[in-house]
Amino acid sequence: MSRSRLLVALLAAALLPWLAAPEASAQPRREQLPGGLVVLIRENTATPVVATSLFVRVGSRWETEDNAGITHLLQQVLLKGTAQRSALEIAETAEGLGGGVSASADMDFSEIRATALARNWKKMLALIAEVALRPTLPESEIDGERRAMLTALRSRQDQPFPLAMDTLMSRVYGDHPYGRPVLGRPAALERIDRTALLAHHRRFYRAPRMILAVSGDVAPRDVLAEVARLLADAPAGDGEPEPAVPAAAARADRTVLVKPAAQAQVLTAFLAPPTGHADYAAVKVLATTLGGGMAGRLFTEVRDKQGLAYSTGGAYPSRLGPGVLFTQLGTAPANQARAEAAVLGELDRIRREPVSPVELARAKAYLLGQFALDRRTNARLAWYDAFFEALDVGPDFAERYARAVEVVTVEDVQRVARTYLTTPTIVTLGPTAP
Amino acid sequence: MLGGCATRPPTPAQRHGLPQPIREVLPNGMRLIIQEHGAATTVAVHLWAGVGGRDEAEGERGFSHFAEHMLFKGTENRGRGFVEAEVEGVGGRTNAGTSTDYTFYYLLLPAARALPGIALVADMVLNSVFDPAELGHEREVVFEEVRLNEDSPRSSLGRQLYSLLYQGHPYGRPVLGDAADLRGATQATLRGYYARHYVPDNMTLVVVGPVNPTEVRAAALKAFGSRPATGYSRRPVSPPPAFEGVRERSVERPERQKQLGLAWLAPPLGHPDMAVVDVLSHILGGSRSSRLNQALRERARLVSSISGWYGALQGAGALGVTAQLEGTDQAAVERAVIDEIRRLQADGVTADELARAITASEAEREFSRETVEGLAMAYGRAETTWTLEAELGYLDRVRAVTRAQVQEAARRYLTRSYARLTFVPRTQAR
Repeated sequence: MSRSRLLVALLAAALLPWLAAPEASAQPRREQLPGGLVVLIRENTATPVVATSLFVRVGSRWETEDNAGITHLLQQVLLKGTAQRSALEIAETAEGLGGGVSASADMDFSEIRATALARNWKKMLALIAEVALRPTLPESEIDGERRAMLTALRSRQDQPFPLAMDTLMSRVYGDHPYGRPVLGRPAALERIDRTALLAHHRRFYRAPRMILAVSGDVAPRDVLAEVARLLADAPAGDGEPEPAVPAAAARADRTVLVKPAAQAQVLTAFLAPPTGHADYAAVKVLATTLGGGMAGRLFTEVRDKQGLAYSTGGAYPSRLGPGVLFTQLGTAPANQARAEAAVLGELDRIRREPVSPVELARAKAYLLGQFALDRRTNARLAWYDAFFEALDVGPDFAERYARAVEVVTVEDVQRVARTYLTTPTIVTLGPTAP
Repeated sequence: MLGGCATRPPTPAQRHGLPQPIREVLPNGMRLIIQEHGAATTVAVHLWAGVGGRDEAEGERGFSHFAEHMLFKGTENRGRGFVEAEVEGVGGRTNAGTSTDYTFYYLLLPAARALPGIALVADMVLNSVFDPAELGHEREVVFEEVRLNEDSPRSSLGRQLYSLLYQGHPYGRPVLGDAADLRGATQATLRGYYARHYVPDNMTLVVVGPVNPTEVRAAALKAFGSRPATGYSRRPVSPPPAFEGVRERSVERPERQKQLGLAWLAPPLGHPDMAVVDVLSHILGGSRSSRLNQALRERARLVSSISGWYGALQGAGALGVTAQLEGTDQAAVERAVIDEIRRLQADGVTADELARAITASEAEREFSRETVEGLAMAYGRAETTWTLEAELGYLDRVRAVTRAQVQEAARRYLTRSYARLTFVPRTQAR
């Protein structure tokens, strides 16, 4: 038996039990409360812990240049005071439960998450409900968190990789809000006041926009009853209609940044389909063939065979709206031109030549294996359950996705490579112009 | 590939719900730790070797880490690319890390692949070839890793703070090594280094997952048993030199945001004060509600982030505070940190603070049990740099810590002698 046949046979045997991992395969119990809030509960008795994610369907995609960063700022200030507790009391309460509470915004959603020892699950949910529904948004805390965000934005501008990445996203998305950092724009942040934050909270923190996922050593029936009680007064109704969002339009150009750096960065990006699209699984396989793991082409060809990088890879993150496939590479400044040519060469080769069956099998196994490995802790399981709901792909998405990946063919990979890997949008960064 | 230093000591496994780990020593001195974990569908296969930055002589600085990279580049039985077929090809994951006290390799695999995983990792640590052409390529990859670390201010701060605190001691040397020594490395010298240190009596195999211990033991014997013991005995590490007053260094960086790191010499692994210092560092700067975060970030807004930590190595420990500044006045930040330390030394900690620190340790232990690799990491590190038994009993020692002990430890360790590292923006030539 040839090496490639052997590998394919080995995969068929190994992959199926792997995907049937009990932690990840069972679907959560899904209920919709009368106000429209979706609750997803997963009972997992392996360890005496519990995790929760409260997603709200608002993120930087709902922002404009004038209020960019408001969602992340709101998320930070939510934890800084409620009708019952000060910022310090919120932190102390969460830590006393054997866990913590934190919050952040993303592009398609924002999240408040908490963990606790399982015996404290009721107090944990009460704290989440209190922070989400009854925040006081104190003026002094707004100022402090605004300054912290401005510092973080400035710090991103000063670090080679974050700066190159932010530039890449703005070039590939054009005027679409995905092109802006979730931290927003300094000028907009300076203007946002308490009135604006209250209005943002009132508009988006509504029952039909909320998704609460819980995973851990808890009884689903008890959790459901408690959630229904705690979140009963979440405002009903959708609020205002969804805003129109400018279309994504890749600049398909090359931007050269000159900044002090020990490593030069070479990044490329292409617009790609959203998560609900029929090509989603095939593009995931394509991105993994190129840049997933130590056996992806960028790693084997550019790092292993040529020694041109330490970190290199590619990814295709899951988005509600237009997706992006990007590659990254850091190299010695003297090698920058050679490394860029090598990356572009790989992007071209995968369009021209079909991938081998062995490579395809490796990419699928790696993709689904990492997906399973990432869905083992209660915090990750709760996050994924809420995420699939927020992306409107349904609670059975994990299983459907695995099946869709399984049936991707060599021809599919080449077809999506030719469809989406058209003209790259390129960003390079180095200490001198190449 | 991780490099760097130990941070908080690992949390022990909870016995509730899991059987005790099995520890045994094979006839050739190789140690084997097996933890059955029936709820998992994955298996962690870890190989820990008692070799790291501190074992390197002059002329071989960086060899531990370089050798770690080369173990992925081919053995007498496997060509380059074996990772592709045997790990990623079955949906698994692998990587490695080198520190001052140890080097470790991990495989995370579907449970059914445990026994082939043991054979694979044994082949890597016993039969790697160090092909000269591969060595040339991989040397450049290591240099890229050095550059990558330089560009990240936070990882540079931690690394350089250790260098400053442990000046003149092996722990003060960068694990990534010396460029000239790495350039001078040949197949013969690197392979010689590997052959000296990767011997059965200096290695531990850790297997955690839904495994059958009898099968695991048989596979380990088959994979490692034929290699004879060498009578290897690792040179003990001497304590770092004490110093008086503030040892200071300021580094110019391309970023505008200033950073400050302070570090004190603290007890090493196995010291009776370990659990107390662990609790002290947590109350000082280990959480949102901690003294430093509340005083400097939440109230004074002097920093955008701050943390207090304790890192325990075999021969030394470090109590540290690292902060990213909001403004430019680092003297004010340092004064505020020292004020909080003096307050803690004068008034001690509250019962609530101590209770929260103990709860955090308990929770950390429970959450670490959610994955097989969390346990494998804790066991492997403990067996290599400490003892498994001490690791398993560590939480009980944390639970026994008293308020008086925390106050006493603050007075004993957070003295007026410490290292101070600042990152300041590079002055632009006009």
